[in-house]
Amino acid sequence: MKKVTKEVLVDASNRLLFTMSDEEFDLLLEEFDTLTKQFNLIGEIEGVDEEKPMTFPYEVYQYTLREDIPCKPLKKEEVLKNAGSVQDGQIKLPKVL
Amino acid sequence: MNYLDLTIKEIHNALLEKKVTVTELTKEAIKRAKENCDNAFELILEDEPLKKAEELDKLPVPVDNLLFGIPFVSKDNFSTKDIETTGSSNILNGYIPLFNATVIEKLENANAILIGKATLDELAMGGTGTSGHKGTTYNPYDKTHSHLIGGSSCGSAVSVASGIVPFSLGSDTGDSVRKPANNAGLVGFKPTWGRISRFGLFPFAPSLDHVAYFTRDVFDSAYLLNILAGHDDKDSTSSLEKIDDYTTYSKDIKGKRFAVIKEIEDSITDEVLNKRFKFILKELENKGAIIERVSIDKRLLESIYPSYFVISCAEATSNNANLDGIKFGPYYGGKTYQEVMFNARTNGFSNLIKRRFVIGSYALMRENQHDLFLRAQKARRIITNKFNEVLNKYDYIINLASPSVAPEIGKASDKLSNEYLIADNYLAFANFGGQPSITLPIGFKDDLPFGVNVTSKIFTELNLFTAANAIEEITGFSNLSVNNYKNKEEK
Repeated sequence: MKKVTKEVLVDASNRLLFTMSDEEFDLLLEEFDTLTKQFNLIGEIEGVDEEKPMTFPYEVYQYTLREDIPCKPLKKEEVLKNAGSVQDGQIKLPKVL
Repeated sequence: MNYLDLTIKEIHNALLEKKVTVTELTKEAIKRAKENCDNAFELILEDEPLKKAEELDKLPVPVDNLLFGIPFVSKDNFSTKDIETTGSSNILNGYIPLFNATVIEKLENANAILIGKATLDELAMGGTGTSGHKGTTYNPYDKTHSHLIGGSSCGSAVSVASGIVPFSLGSDTGDSVRKPANNAGLVGFKPTWGRISRFGLFPFAPSLDHVAYFTRDVFDSAYLLNILAGHDDKDSTSSLEKIDDYTTYSKDIKGKRFAVIKEIEDSITDEVLNKRFKFILKELENKGAIIERVSIDKRLLESIYPSYFVISCAEATSNNANLDGIKFGPYYGGKTYQEVMFNARTNGFSNLIKRRFVIGSYALMRENQHDLFLRAQKARRIITNKFNEVLNKYDYIINLASPSVAPEIGKASDKLSNEYLIADNYLAFANFGGQPSITLPIGFKDDLPFGVNVTSKIFTELNLFTAANAIEEITGFSNLSVNNYKNKEEK
């Protein structure tokens, strides 16, 4: 497992597209002391690594398909009304090239 | 008499008998919401609900629709068309959804009246009711504001416990309705995962998220499920399993088998709570129920919380990637589109949420996935199998819902103790396995309520309401609120 360091946590936050103050990273490092002890408890369950991961509460079998019913799309003005940067009926962002 | 202090069924009867009008009820609910000092609301509505109330007053009250004209509150993580919905996060300030969540639509169709959007822990990622962008939501049983109501459905709990409305919508990913129900003396219920559509509920951790709700009465809880349950084409995880008339639950508890998980019981040290719990079990036995202690390996119980934490943080990390400040939410600008997103997310999320996202991202890193995320998912299967094994032999699992009454604000827990790891966080087992689960009040300590939790097999809600009804009969705590609890004697 990757060692928990401030650099690793900064890298994770950059990947998540936000930053935090130095104090917050220090606090998070402290939290990891307790979290690591809690996480280790999971590894103590007998046979845990032989089990299959569970991704949903129970097996879901869905045999039906929805009818292909056409519906009206939202109006462009409606879709854009929550966007903070709009120009000429489109969301405007800084140039890529 | 104030009709808002009654149950849904009683208010309905008052409407039928013309003792009160929908407009009077709605005005009073809005007035009470405005007078509330517990920081329970993101938004209180006025014009729209009053307009709807006046229209409903022109119609005859239908005998078979108990929700007609009943005011309610929704947690602010349900999409409400043309009404600001923020999830108590600054990153969604000003966001106006273009559609209703399915549950909102169903309640609107039943002519219930939405009067407000309730506070929550930011994006439902918390259990204290202290992390929403409007600050701490307080427990209405403590006028000094020194005790938590709990979360994440904090404002929804306050609105029902304070008699503002007789029911409110919440969501439950770990225990976010069933734990505040303990602290607020309410009936807090989550059904089987898939029983109620989640379309329009902001996703936190979809493999664990449930629509859930608060009432002050078991019958009301069963009736609401009649209205809200059912398959929804808009939610591919909603179930096609047949729906019952949940109000037809049996009143006979004779021969029903309850398992008390011994290790959960042993991890609770509060003598007042333990004594009351034993009394409830004895009374259930007197009614003909069978109570037995069952053991579950402590290591499994201690692993519920860390497994939940890893899975929920990891799922939340990816589910909230759409919050980028471009399509909705405040726009902060930037020189590149990456910088636009970076600025929006840096300014929009609180530090607590950011730390949780980083933990989720850490659990998902290639080098850590096996030891954290996948291992937590494997533990989830073992834990679920164990609880289902118990539920294959017993109708119910019953334990105190929490090790204490509402905790004091700012009081730190020992996060490695059995009390914290087991008694304070075991309720998430029913999110792992998706079983229906209900918390209801059984007693008071220092003028603060506490409750018991009962869980049954998936899709056995009807049977679960039988147990809840029997407990309500024993306690006499039907329709408990801050306005009347001093008149209710503990039986």
